[in-house]
Amino acid sequence: MRKIFIEILLILIFTLIIALLGNSFNSKGIKLSSSQSRISVEDEAAYKDEFRNDPYDTLSVQMPLLNDLRQKDKKEGFYIPQNITLSLAKKLYDKNALFIDARKKIDFDAGHIKGAINISYDDFLAKTKEERIEMMRKYNKNGIIIAYCEGGTCDVSIDVAYELARMGFNYVNLYRPGYIAWKNAGYPVEP
Amino acid sequence: MRHILSNRILQIILRLIVGGTFIYASLGKIADPVSFAKAINNYQMLPEFTVNFLAIFIPYLEFITGTFLIIGLFKKGSSLIIIVSLILFTIGLLQAYIRGLSINCGCFSLDPSTKSEILIRIIQDIFLLLFTFIILLYSKTKKIVLNNKESENVNQQRI
Repeated sequence: MRKIFIEILLILIFTLIIALLGNSFNSKGIKLSSSQSRISVEDEAAYKDEFRNDPYDTLSVQMPLLNDLRQKDKKEGFYIPQNITLSLAKKLYDKNALFIDARKKIDFDAGHIKGAINISYDDFLAKTKEERIEMMRKYNKNGIIIAYCEGGTCDVSIDVAYELARMGFNYVNLYRPGYIAWKNAGYPVEP
Repeated sequence: MRHILSNRILQIILRLIVGGTFIYASLGKIADPVSFAKAINNYQMLPEFTVNFLAIFIPYLEFITGTFLIIGLFKKGSSLIIIVSLILFTIGLLQAYIRGLSINCGCFSLDPSTKSEILIRIIQDIFLLLFTFIILLYSKTKKIVLNNKESENVNQQRI
């Protein structure tokens, strides 16, 4: 019995070493601790009250944040999309933020956050880089963008958000509670 | 029964099945830890700060224990680790199934568009679990001392 535990200990230590080495040599390797930036309810004060977002005003360079909480990706230099809460999503909605629905068109047509545009994850990632840039040209690079999908378990919004951030959009947010939480809260939806 | 289960050929076949499955399952995850981290996160079981560490550690653990099982090194230890991880995977799958989470399990494919059949994975896990128990309980560890029959008895007593 004791021998088995020694074996297990040896295997675990061996695996830990190999895993850490393997991850550091892997070009797709990840950081050990996941530190997704989150804006809590308290931080919402950081947003200027008088600010009003215009997603279509491509000349605007107005900074919507008072305290800049964003983090830059160290390798690629884009601003990492931030997770936001339902209440902050609503506040930004009131300030005319651009909501992006990353679900399939059929889900989008069945119901979405009022005023949201549909950028389906599948279609979007299937496009070439040039097509994506062309598609997003009419939007303000410094405007507040909020990507969402169904809610909870869905992750297509993450992929769309990161892709937009890589394309040079500076204020991309991720609203993970998604459409379900929004609808349940009784906030504006359409149709 | 004991004779059949400790049969050398059967043992090798079982080790190949379980070890092979684990190695096969690990490769995609080792290559793409980001997607696997997302898959773990989707289970909504674990605090977020543990997710990345597990996304790095679990695939290598699968790969190494699978390899050990096949080459016959640390057989008992590897099979016990595999049993524990299979039980944990099954619990994860079960709770996802019961809560009705519609997720890709992250078992083999990491493509989020493949919605895998959770129930099939659970059944598969249970079979693997059974195989691994047979390996753990009935595989012979090599002993140079004594003649064959006696060493077999010694091993069975130890278990």
